[in-house]
Amino acid sequence: MALEILSNAVLILGLFFVFLAMLGLARLPDVYNRLHTTTKIGTLGAFSVMLSILLKVGFSPMGVKAITVALFILITSPVAAHMISRAAHRHGVGLCRESVIDEYGKACNAACPPPEED
Amino acid sequence: MNLLEYSLIFMVISFIPCLYRVIKGPTIPDRVVALDAMTTVIVVMLGIYSYVQESVFFMDVALVLAIISFVGTVTIAKYLDEGVVF
Amino acid sequence: MKRYIAYSAILALVWCFVHGTISVNNFILGLIIAPFIIRPFKFLFPFDLEFSFGNAIKKIPAQIKFLYVLIVEIIKANIMVAKIVLQPKIDIKPGIIAVPIDSKTDIGITAIANTITLTPGTLTIDVSDDKSILYVHAIDATDPEGVAQSIREDLEKYTMEAFE
Repeated sequence: MALEILSNAVLILGLFFVFLAMLGLARLPDVYNRLHTTTKIGTLGAFSVMLSILLKVGFSPMGVKAITVALFILITSPVAAHMISRAAHRHGVGLCRESVIDEYGKACNAACPPPEED
Repeated sequence: MNLLEYSLIFMVISFIPCLYRVIKGPTIPDRVVALDAMTTVIVVMLGIYSYVQESVFFMDVALVLAIISFVGTVTIAKYLDEGVVF
Repeated sequence: MKRYIAYSAILALVWCFVHGTISVNNFILGLIIAPFIIRPFKFLFPFDLEFSFGNAIKKIPAQIKFLYVLIVEIIKANIMVAKIVLQPKIDIKPGIIAVPIDSKTDIGITAIANTITLTPGTLTIDVSDDKSILYVHAIDATDPEGVAQSIREDLEKYTMEAFE
């Protein structure tokens, strides 16, 4: 009984976090800030939902596969975020207007200055 | 209706911001990020649905979808970055 | 040979998890199949480095400690970003910061980069060509020195212990 209440609580927390991730995707101003929400909150939300399924069914095949999915998302989502943010920066997507500092852009320009406009 | 079915409805509601971002997103990376987030929502839905239906096969679908989403995101990022995939 | 045994054990564990039943029979089946998977993809594994079981086992307590730190940091990160998303008016000062790191090996740099992405307010974007500087996007970049120092002191200490 206590396990059921715990798993329901974890489930509601996870659903709430996934919803917040999607809300942040719509509200925040540029690609890099949107990646913050989808990688951090989305990962923990998916992890919580899968953990609640594991708590509900125990170590049956379904529970073990659920925790496999959760661990896989936890490992791969930072790598995907890193790849897409680097590609976005090299593709020319600028930072939003509120940004205060961009040392990566400076380093890139120092290494290979942009071609002259003619 | 119990908690799990309500949670499926809640996940469908959280689809709407993703669709908004996919349609409106000013740049290509925005759309890729939104599609990646959509896959996370679908994986969560498949996990819950697997428990509702008491069938293991939906969990396999979730695992395969997570793998394909990761590979697809990395492929599009490489294509945007270098112009070639391999 | 030692590397084949170690990687086979890891792959067999992954096979058990993907199959869904964790049993001794299943583990041995994975152990038998794994070398045939490792051989064609040998170039992906670091076969040229030194390896010993003693060192790998000695690192396990440090890795468990690192996992504990990681879980605490992930929960803090979620609460922080959730607060930012729920603000009625979004007021953030993001920016990209250069953070010098001490890790030298590839696996150490991968671990610190992934950890930075999962911890509060920071996201790894790129590593410089000589592998000494990480470029990190911070959601609150008004104090670049403070962010760099917190990454070096709070996180890199544990990843250096656990993975190098």
